[in-house]
Amino acid sequence: MASWPQNPKLIGGRIPRLDGLGKASGKTKYPSDVRPDGTLFGVLLTSPVPYAKIKSIDASAAAKMPGVKAIHLVVEAGGTLHYQGETIGGVAAETEEKARDAVRAIKVEYEILPHVATEEQAMAPGAPQIMNGGNVRKGREVANPKVDEAYRAADFKLDSTYSIPVITHVCLESHGLTVRWDNDDHMTVWASTQNVGGVSGELAGAFQIPATNVHTMTEVMGGGFGSKFGADVWGVIAGHLSKKAGGKPVRMFLDRSQEHLTGGNRPSGTAHIQMGATKDGMLTAMIAETHGTGGSSRGANFPLPYVYFVPNAKRSHSDVYVNGGDARAMRAPGHPQGCALMEAAMDDIAAMIGIDPLDFRIKNLPPKDFRTPIYLQELELGAKAIGWKEKWKPRGQNGSGTIKRGLGLGLHQWGGGGTTDKQVSCTINPDGSVEVKSATQDLGTGTRTILAIITAEVLGLKTTDIKSNIGDSLFPPGQPSGGSTTAPSMSPPAYNAALQARDAFLAKIAPALAAEAQQLSLADGQVLIDGQPKISWKDACRKLGMGSVSVTAGALPGLSSNGVGGCQFAEAEVDVETGVVKLKKIVAVQDSGLIIDMLTWESQVYGGVIGGINPALFEERVMDPGSGLMLNADMEMYKLAGASDIPEIVVIPLDTPEMRARGVIGVGEPPTISTAAAIRNAVSNAIGVPVNKWPMTPMNVLDALAAAKQGKA
Amino acid sequence: MLETEQKPPNNRASRRDFLRGSGLAAATTVLTGRATAAIEEARAQDSEVQVLSGEIPLKLNVNGEEKATVAEPRSTLLDTLRNRLDVTGPKRVCDRASCGACTVIVEGETVYSCTTLAVSCQGKAIETIESFDTGPNGVPYAFHQNDGLMCGYCTPGFVTSCKALLDQNKNPTLEEIQRGLDGNICRCGTYGGVFKAALAAAKTMKGA
Repeated sequence: MASWPQNPKLIGGRIPRLDGLGKASGKTKYPSDVRPDGTLFGVLLTSPVPYAKIKSIDASAAAKMPGVKAIHLVVEAGGTLHYQGETIGGVAAETEEKARDAVRAIKVEYEILPHVATEEQAMAPGAPQIMNGGNVRKGREVANPKVDEAYRAADFKLDSTYSIPVITHVCLESHGLTVRWDNDDHMTVWASTQNVGGVSGELAGAFQIPATNVHTMTEVMGGGFGSKFGADVWGVIAGHLSKKAGGKPVRMFLDRSQEHLTGGNRPSGTAHIQMGATKDGMLTAMIAETHGTGGSSRGANFPLPYVYFVPNAKRSHSDVYVNGGDARAMRAPGHPQGCALMEAAMDDIAAMIGIDPLDFRIKNLPPKDFRTPIYLQELELGAKAIGWKEKWKPRGQNGSGTIKRGLGLGLHQWGGGGTTDKQVSCTINPDGSVEVKSATQDLGTGTRTILAIITAEVLGLKTTDIKSNIGDSLFPPGQPSGGSTTAPSMSPPAYNAALQARDAFLAKIAPALAAEAQQLSLADGQVLIDGQPKISWKDACRKLGMGSVSVTAGALPGLSSNGVGGCQFAEAEVDVETGVVKLKKIVAVQDSGLIIDMLTWESQVYGGVIGGINPALFEERVMDPGSGLMLNADMEMYKLAGASDIPEIVVIPLDTPEMRARGVIGVGEPPTISTAAAIRNAVSNAIGVPVNKWPMTPMNVLDALAAAKQGKA
Repeated sequence: MLETEQKPPNNRASRRDFLRGSGLAAATTVLTGRATAAIEEARAQDSEVQVLSGEIPLKLNVNGEEKATVAEPRSTLLDTLRNRLDVTGPKRVCDRASCGACTVIVEGETVYSCTTLAVSCQGKAIETIESFDTGPNGVPYAFHQNDGLMCGYCTPGFVTSCKALLDQNKNPTLEEIQRGLDGNICRCGTYGGVFKAALAAAKTMKGA
């Protein structure tokens, strides 16, 4: 088993990302910034209606418009459109303005079909059925045989329904790519993707050419969050448009409304939860009937029960199909929903029992799980940082004025882990330059930088001495960036390649230094003989003569792991007259094994928290039952946190020798999971009544207060 | 007023003709805000009425350089910069003045270039992120050092808003920075690094 350096100089430090200045100065070209010579502008035609059959489609007038070079349709007369925003075809023209005009000039006659745009509509008796087999697909029930009995016998019985709505990814760089046919069977592609290899593969399949003939590049990209793994239908359309236009590059990126409508979304989750517990705070039973929608064809399942040990559980889940855009993976798929619904119930039953919700959680951690000792350490750190002991008060005791203050928490978990079949190449050149390459991507996570840190650590150089080249499908096979798997998949081969390149390099220069290779080592930009600095790195590299040293290597075992915990605490202030929630502080405690770059690691966790603040307070895809259209497919009414909404956020790494010994584990997903749960619990703690619908908007908060008042009256 | 009511409201030429004929002073008292703006335009333009359509030649002063291109009257400043002049620092994200990724500085003021017409910027100094100092005294450097970016697609907008803010307020508090950047949206959630970067840049710029 290999191991990481015991006393690293760089690994674990705070190292600015290699591509940071290029991005911050506007000089880096994103895929959507690339304009190869002769670029034509593509615009997509998408469905303006939620559910329809196409009676006729006529693009002849559009084809004759000035500047229009190609039109390609993917839905013909007789075809069905299942949601607003579904792709019909595309136009390529000399300018974007002309392409838009031409899209508008394509005449489509729709036979409007009765739609179901919301889950309520889809589940209503007599609803129009949009799916073979019905709008509601019930999954297999998983049940412990004694669960009903255990629930009936419980000292305390919770019976509540919670729901969290569909949200969309809102990648700031929309989905898209520029495609150019270089000849009959070669394509060059600049794609905003989490998976350069996947884009090449999909386009190669669509056009029946070898995947190696599709050169996909993603030097940087403007956000994916799980929604950008393929070329997509619009990518294939761009390929057809380019082909029809004699191979000219065609640029095809979604507009903002299309990005909301068809670029992916996170399914909703609704749970009717019956939970039982003893009077000393032990969970005994949980019965959950859940449903959610992943749009017109995708599922919407999520893990439940979540984190805690429930001796008797029953779960049944139904996927609900609606005339809405289809779900895609979104940062920790399923977990934020499962976590929110579980943790809300945990807080509500803790309030019934009259137990401190922190103690209640500790009591109900799974006794044999490897995460339990990790959670215990994390809860201690988090509770201390938020001031739980001093500040937490039971519901209903958080101030007598109109502004109430409350605390809440949530726990989460993620598997992560990596693959062992990816490769990195490491090349040392006679001029002293060092290049690492792999066909993985940097989504803003810092992948490029951690590969350079690992290489520089081994070669005794600075991170900035390493050229870290990723995002190119022709490079050695790299990890698609999803599920927090990139760092654990790519760090081991980067380390192995650097070690092998170092050894080959030292063997090669040893004779010129009149030494044996075993006497040589590297540190601080020097080659050492028997521990004494002898010659600078650059001078040593010159001794390579004409030949570079280049090694392509795969993973070594023992350098990465999987499975993390984590917890978050929130402090919120709520105005019970207006329902406005103001966050005061969030504490996020996270383990993720060996941390390569503490600076970018902290940014990931911090950003994960904000990725949880958004659905906690603001985000919601609003569908209009009447028209079947999304009412907020923009960035004005689709609300996201801005600078003034951001509270103090404290990020605490569980960075212990035991954690470091686990090796590299990714951190993209876990820190976004429990934020919305912790905030909801803080709000409910503040106002003294449970709020059962996310987001914690003034309306949902005031509704909860009103419902509680009515219940009491 | 009958004449305007009978014509489509977006017929700019006829509205101007009407304004010229009707007497500006009288018109001002009864016209809506939109028409008031048209009066301003009419006042500013003493020459014959120009109807712009199709592609027209255009000169834009971008980062101190006079750049000639063609664009349509409806072309936004952002699309003209990005699609026709290869100035791709400003990004198109919301395309509706909600997110700030397209922020540029026109005549010293930040504007959302996605909702500014290119034709309206002729003869004005347009400053984009590409012209900013990338050295240790500049705002981009502070963003880099403080990890005020992740995917980086919102970053040019934040950097531009931040620079404009610091140009006007050399010594901002955290709250002033937050308010000054409220016109920008980051999806990765990099705000903490952004705030640190803004404070650090203010400090260096004062020292410089």
